[in-house]
Amino acid sequence: MNEIFVNMGQIGVIKNSGVLVTVGLGSCVGVSLYDPSTKVGALAHVFLAKSRGNADSELLPGKYADTAIPALVDLAVKAGANRDRFEAKIAGGAHLFENTKPDMPSVGQRNVEAVIEQLHKHRIPITGKDVLGKRGRKMSLFVDTGIVIVTSIGQQPIQI
Amino acid sequence: MREKLDFLTELGNIGASYATTALSKMLHDAKLKLTVPQSRILSFSEAANYIPDPEEVVVCVYMRMVDIFDANIAFILPMNSALALAGFLTSEKSEHLTDLGQSALLEVGNIMLSSYLTALSMISGAKLKPAVPAIAVDMNGAIWESILADAGITDFVTVLETHFSTEQIELSGHLFFIPDHDLYEFLSSKVSGFLLEEST
Repeated sequence: MNEIFVNMGQIGVIKNSGVLVTVGLGSCVGVSLYDPSTKVGALAHVFLAKSRGNADSELLPGKYADTAIPALVDLAVKAGANRDRFEAKIAGGAHLFENTKPDMPSVGQRNVEAVIEQLHKHRIPITGKDVLGKRGRKMSLFVDTGIVIVTSIGQQPIQI
Repeated sequence: MREKLDFLTELGNIGASYATTALSKMLHDAKLKLTVPQSRILSFSEAANYIPDPEEVVVCVYMRMVDIFDANIAFILPMNSALALAGFLTSEKSEHLTDLGQSALLEVGNIMLSSYLTALSMISGAKLKPAVPAIAVDMNGAIWESILADAGITDFVTVLETHFSTEQIELSGHLFFIPDHDLYEFLSSKVSGFLLEEST
């Protein structure tokens, strides 16, 4: 099966079959978009919440929530997706080092909030999520079905 | 630039020597092998690809200092090494990392990271106060990116990495030191002072 790994700050898109995978989501958030009518799937691995005008957001829009979601939508639409049919799923935003007090709110929580805000802004429904907590995650989007599987160490994989 | 990085490498070497001397004492004076540390300035994309196996389960003790300078320092062990070290320290034999084992590793990590920072402060004059250590058992990639995100890395990241191992018990691990831009500049500004001293 065609397997594409989406690294930190990147965005991947595929159509019809294959799987988009992102590994090592700690405080980062994985965001998938899927259009079931055209079987276009896209996945971003968001690192921080806000680009604050950093020049690198143009080179690597997937890095920040506020630039990643528009870029994710554009890429999926260019690959043939219908904008009105998008379903979003999100995973990540954990706080791994639980015995220390995070900045309030934690980086992970800020990332999750920023991603949700952006998805609302683009009127994309969130049909599944597995966020916050203390565990790192791996997220896989199977493009032939739209199924998203999330795994953490010591846990059974879950479908969101 | 090369000069600055060489100097940082030397600082990393001294820091790691202090840290592993502390570890060696806890291992009844076990001999520890240290690789020459690597100091690198990584772009964000390079940093994203830095961890060879992001799914590997590791134990990480981590400190984040927020003071005049911000810096992040971490001690990372693969699971088999973590179990060997925890087993040695607690005399517990377990295939899983127990709560006791975890607190033993947290304490060892705390002592090692504090020693590293003390050495660095002494040499450079930078005030680096150890912070409360944190521990996580998770995927290497998730730990790495959480540390980078904590550090608020947006463009480049300076990484000092030392690998160490001992044959006394099956143990190998890494020490990472990630200074922020200001601390990098401060530390590397010391290089000219040191070169002058050497030449006189």
